[in-house]
Amino acid sequence: MRVEDIKAYIESGILELYVLGDVTHEEKLQVEAMAAQHPAIKAELEEIERSLESYANANAVQPAENLRDKVLNSLVTNLADDRIFNTKEDQKPEAKIVEMTSPRQVIIYKYAFAACFVLLIVSVAALINAYRQIDQSNTLIASLQSQNQRIANRVNFVEGEIGILHDSTYKLLRMAGTAKSPSSGLTVAWSPVKKKVWIDMSNANMPLNDKDHQYQLWALVGGKPVSLGVFDADTTSKDMKEMESIASADAFAVTPEKRGGSPTPTPDEMMVLGKF
Amino acid sequence: MAKKHKISLSEEELIRALRNREQIAAEALYDMYSASLYGVISRIVIDTATAEDVLQDTFVKIWNSFSSYSAEKGRLFTWMVNIARNLSIDKIRSKDFKNQNKNQELENNVTFIDEQRNTVYKPELLGIKDLVETLKPEQKSILDLVYFKGYTHVEAADELGVPLGTIKTRLRMAIVQLRKHFN
Repeated sequence: MRVEDIKAYIESGILELYVLGDVTHEEKLQVEAMAAQHPAIKAELEEIERSLESYANANAVQPAENLRDKVLNSLVTNLADDRIFNTKEDQKPEAKIVEMTSPRQVIIYKYAFAACFVLLIVSVAALINAYRQIDQSNTLIASLQSQNQRIANRVNFVEGEIGILHDSTYKLLRMAGTAKSPSSGLTVAWSPVKKKVWIDMSNANMPLNDKDHQYQLWALVGGKPVSLGVFDADTTSKDMKEMESIASADAFAVTPEKRGGSPTPTPDEMMVLGKF
Repeated sequence: MAKKHKISLSEEELIRALRNREQIAAEALYDMYSASLYGVISRIVIDTATAEDVLQDTFVKIWNSFSSYSAEKGRLFTWMVNIARNLSIDKIRSKDFKNQNKNQELENNVTFIDEQRNTVYKPELLGIKDLVETLKPEQKSILDLVYFKGYTHVEAADELGVPLGTIKTRLRMAIVQLRKHFN
């Protein structure tokens, strides 16, 4: 740009309007660009600003005396409320305190957390152990109870058996093995008074019956067989067993019959027989 | 009440202190510029209480938006007086202010103000009467319209009934006269 052009730009009056804030945004940018490029324009702007500042100074009006405190208070209030005043010096130590405090707390929390965690694991382990022991004890108690029950039952049963032997109303009859099973023998205890019949499986030595068959006890009354029920002969059959009741009988016999029993005996298959 | 010692800083020192938001900057700002700014504000906003409110708003805005001031683009006072002028114009154009109907007629505004108030001229500003004589009446009227009334040069051209080019020339010549005078 030539010197004449710069002079013309200065004399256009745009710089005065710029200083007065009476330009468009585009004009403003243009003036600022021109001022940055051309020291003469920059100097001219400076002169205009100084002149108008002096003019304002010359026309200054002193505001009321009490306004100073009011205005300054409103700025200081801004300071107090919004920390608008410089707080650099204040902020640094504040930040330091945070930095110092924070890790220490974190370390404490770390240890506290670790301790809690260890305590939790130990507690859980102890709990599992205790539970196991309780479980074992419960199992033991259950087995002891069941054993105790069995023993009690056994005692009752044996007492019952002994009671039979002590009861004078019972008659004991040893049924002898027939030709079918010569080694077998079965003892029958019968009380005509109490109409009760027991068989004693101990030392019966009966051949074991299969699934489809059972032994059936018969009483011969006046030559007629009367069923007194069925029983099994297996490896566990060593106790006395109460059969169906009958008031009078001449003889007792056992035949193997189909499971559940038959209405009439099969005499050919008779295993044991005993007569009074 | 004892008058406080007024604080004065160089423009560079004041700008630095304002940037750092030091409390002394607020005091220096007020002591150095309140009268000059109030001279502009009170000529646009006639009601004293309202003008004082605008002065306070002006300082709050200067204080809060100081980060937007750029020293490369101009002097501090130029930036501040434009804030003061804009806030004053906003105030008198606001609805509630218009309803108060306290606006004075344009023609006798500036003289009216100067007659009404105890305008305090700074003792160092000698030759204020010379200044009035320095400016031709048509220069003074356009300068006062734009500088003290917040008129745009377009509005001033309308008001005075002269072409835009003439307004610009008169405005420039008025400021050239001021330069001569103050230098």
